[in-house]
Amino acid sequence: MKVTYNWLKDFLNINLAPKALSEKLTLAGLEVVSLAEIQGDFVFEIEITSNRPDWLSVLGVAREVAAITGLKLKTNKMNLFDGGNLKRKDSSLKIKIEDKKDCLLYTARIIKNVKVGSSPEWLKKRLESIGCRSVNNVVDATNYVLFELGQPLHAFDLDKLSSNEIRVRRAKTDEKIITLDGVTRLLSPEILVIADEHRLLAVAGIMGGKETEVTLKTRNILLESAVFNPALIRRAKQKLGLPSESAYRFERGVDLEAVKSASLAAQELILKSTSGEPSGFSSLGSSKLIPLTINLDVNYLNKLLGTAIPMPKVRQILNSLGLPVKTKTKNILTVKTPSFRQDLKLPVDLVEEVARIYGYDKIPKTLPAVKPRRKVLDKQEIISGIKNILSGLGLSEVITYSLVDRQLLHKSGIDTLTGLIEILNPLSKEQEVLRPALYPSLIRVLAYNLNQQQERVGIFEMANVFSGQINTVREDSLLSVALCGNQAFFTRQGLVRDEITLLHLKGILESLFNRLGIKDFDFSRPQDNRINIAVNQQPAGFMLNLSPQILEAFDIKNQRVVLAQVNLEMLLGSISLGKKFLDIPKYPSITRDISLVINEDLPVQELLAAIKVKGAPLLDQVKIVDYYQGKQIPAGFKGLTISCVYRLNNRTLTEEEVSPVHHDICSLLEERFGVKLRKASED
Amino acid sequence: MDINSIQAQIEDDLANLVSAQALEEVRVKYLGRKGLFAELTSSIPGLPVEQRGVFGKEVNALKNKLLKLLEEKEKTLKTQSNVLQESNLDIGMPGIAQKLGHLHPITQVIDEICAIFNRMGFFVVQGPEVETEYNNFTGLNIPLEHPSRDAFDTFYLKEYSKLLLRSHTSPVQVRVMKTQKPPLAIIVPGRVYRPDAVDASHLFMFHQIEGFLVDENIRFSDLKGVLELFAQSVFGPDIKMRFRPHFFPFTEPSVEVDISCIICKGKGCSVCGRKGWLEILGAGMIHPNVFKQVGYAANKYTGFAFGMGIERIAMLKYGINDIRLFFENDLRFLKQF
Repeated sequence: MKVTYNWLKDFLNINLAPKALSEKLTLAGLEVVSLAEIQGDFVFEIEITSNRPDWLSVLGVAREVAAITGLKLKTNKMNLFDGGNLKRKDSSLKIKIEDKKDCLLYTARIIKNVKVGSSPEWLKKRLESIGCRSVNNVVDATNYVLFELGQPLHAFDLDKLSSNEIRVRRAKTDEKIITLDGVTRLLSPEILVIADEHRLLAVAGIMGGKETEVTLKTRNILLESAVFNPALIRRAKQKLGLPSESAYRFERGVDLEAVKSASLAAQELILKSTSGEPSGFSSLGSSKLIPLTINLDVNYLNKLLGTAIPMPKVRQILNSLGLPVKTKTKNILTVKTPSFRQDLKLPVDLVEEVARIYGYDKIPKTLPAVKPRRKVLDKQEIISGIKNILSGLGLSEVITYSLVDRQLLHKSGIDTLTGLIEILNPLSKEQEVLRPALYPSLIRVLAYNLNQQQERVGIFEMANVFSGQINTVREDSLLSVALCGNQAFFTRQGLVRDEITLLHLKGILESLFNRLGIKDFDFSRPQDNRINIAVNQQPAGFMLNLSPQILEAFDIKNQRVVLAQVNLEMLLGSISLGKKFLDIPKYPSITRDISLVINEDLPVQELLAAIKVKGAPLLDQVKIVDYYQGKQIPAGFKGLTISCVYRLNNRTLTEEEVSPVHHDICSLLEERFGVKLRKASED
Repeated sequence: MDINSIQAQIEDDLANLVSAQALEEVRVKYLGRKGLFAELTSSIPGLPVEQRGVFGKEVNALKNKLLKLLEEKEKTLKTQSNVLQESNLDIGMPGIAQKLGHLHPITQVIDEICAIFNRMGFFVVQGPEVETEYNNFTGLNIPLEHPSRDAFDTFYLKEYSKLLLRSHTSPVQVRVMKTQKPPLAIIVPGRVYRPDAVDASHLFMFHQIEGFLVDENIRFSDLKGVLELFAQSVFGPDIKMRFRPHFFPFTEPSVEVDISCIICKGKGCSVCGRKGWLEILGAGMIHPNVFKQVGYAANKYTGFAFGMGIERIAMLKYGINDIRLFFENDLRFLKQF
């Protein structure tokens, strides 16, 4: 909202420079977002919070300036409000209000023989300085009063009314009106209208109708000043998509007791600039509000703020805001809320008023005594830990939108689109649905970065995904990892490039699981391109080798992309960070390596499992220490070196004990699995 | 092969040797099971009888000499530093290690802020991103048909009336207070959603951190003290703060908090819009109506709550001028953090 320095000076003799005033207003809660000098005046643009409709006028800001500076409002301006020179002359106009709840008060003033023309220069200049276009001397007068007193008004061309009855009623289904902006509006019963016996005159509180618009030909006018139900105006405004200065004020609530004085103020302006004659006034509804009585305990105030503001100071501040205060007891003040302060309902509202004017900056800074609680391992801490492990493994964290377009899912090969949660009011296609999976977003980030000439991309994200349930939405926290390009690392032999495979991804997940103390996990391969991950024998996620179709859909060329998606809740549920020390082995081990060549199709897991069974109880560990394919190995086969470590916990093993067992293992491998042993090294 | 040339060979082999591994190779070459000395020894029986004694002695002498040389070499190798073992190593070459990845700057800011409040005794709690209309609005004293809702434009879900994407982290206040009694000192990081048109400072998804402290006798002055400690921890001890009255439906009194511009130190620049101040968060004393909604006894507890946008803090902290960079996930951006 904009007000000018000179306009404020109409209300009080400000003794502060515009800049200083702007700072004071800001610190009192009327944030001045800009201050500009325009034609010898200063325009303040103020951000008004939605709880203070009374500040949406020059008068309202002037009241605040009075409180901040201790100045008094000029009485000549305020005389308007005692209704002293309100010469009442009832008109023949009838007002009918269909439902009192929709319209608390409706007033209509008739002014005859107006000469519609342009407004006086001073008025034009003032309106234009706050960004309001001058129309004519009647419309400008209503706008001037709107900005000065905060009461929206509307002037109708009286002669265009088909009867002498004004009706405030709900619109009928499919009723239409052409509003002042020339647009035909289709109405409905949720919308309040102003009508005469035969047709619609205005969308109540929002915009007048074109047919009854005041034009240069207008001779007689009807000036409306009223109070409409804020929620109703808000709904109508939203339904019609038609914001206006009037609607802005009505939906926040106007001052009931200023309705008549605003009408009178506008009449005075109109009479002066159009040489018209007052010709009657009608009103229906109550024009007085029963004030609310709020008791403010000053001890409560000081306890809540952490201050020691004395009673007289509190009283003085409330008074300066135009609030009538009485002292009830030693500590309790009684405030009767004026009609322009409908926001004041509870004692705490008065506490804020006192704090604002006293100055937030004068309230001390203290530190509360926070009561410590027993430490528990919280989810955030574990998530943080996981992120650190993954970044330690060379991956970078990304954060992508939870809202995605269907196309992204389709491109990622997710075509079962049932159970997708759709957004009712997306601003664009990119916000169509809540994502049911994390990895499509990661593929997009990969593709983007490959496009930026990144040679290797290793990323992860931890976020929620969403799926539809009956009447509710299920949220699951997931971890997704995606890798592509070459893993390049230095060795003494120089840079070694290694194309990323599912094994690289598996290695990352194994490291993560190990660090989290997850002991029971398993990778199995139901399909060529898909690996299932189980934790504690429960499905916990999968790894994918992206198919050529998906790669092509994302325009990823000549790259293998592998990714994983793991259910985080499953991981969190399987974490065991409690550690138990096992004795360091007292007796030495004997290690025997087996080098062998096996058919590519033979899963090594089976081999290792068989070795373990055969080697028990002497065999302590069996692991793959090397593997190779290449020149010495025939196609369709792979070379492996398996290391068998024999150890007992209660004594030193001898070669003589180990050799037969190891021999049995070798025989088993040859006989059951048909492997070819290359050599059995001794070490 | 004659003894002298073997000896020359041994000396030659040992001369340029720099690693323990190479030394071991020399040892195996001469003294291993199939080494040269084994060969020499095994060749003795094939010699004429008169030569055997002399040759045997020579071989033994040479073997002893070799053992001595190996021992000496081993000592010198041990006393030299590892780096110098590889005489041709250039320390200007790249180091060899797994390169670390990077945590997203938003994560880093969240972790930092959580750590600051953890130290003050606050606990981290999380809430769902799909919320009920009640928790997001009504429970927080935001009436359904009131202009105060304009500040919280919200994504609604099709086919799930009364469900929405939370437009702020404050619903977690309602969730926590409905299930727990004070004292409460909670901090809530998370994603929030608002249908805002995308530009350099607006996105339809961003992150917030909500904090609240509820107990008997929590004061506005405590809020000021805690927020000052927070701001100085994040932005440095010289930062100045300004508390401006504001309006939030769920707090009363409400406040917006500014810090002195970290770019111009308050003089006025393009980052702060020549104001010298940067708005960083909203806060206030929890509204009695919120306590009423969650079923706390009237007037028993007081508390404060605050909320801030993480992207905003991160942009100020790192000098980032476009919020979209956070979600583009360009590695050239991410690797700077």
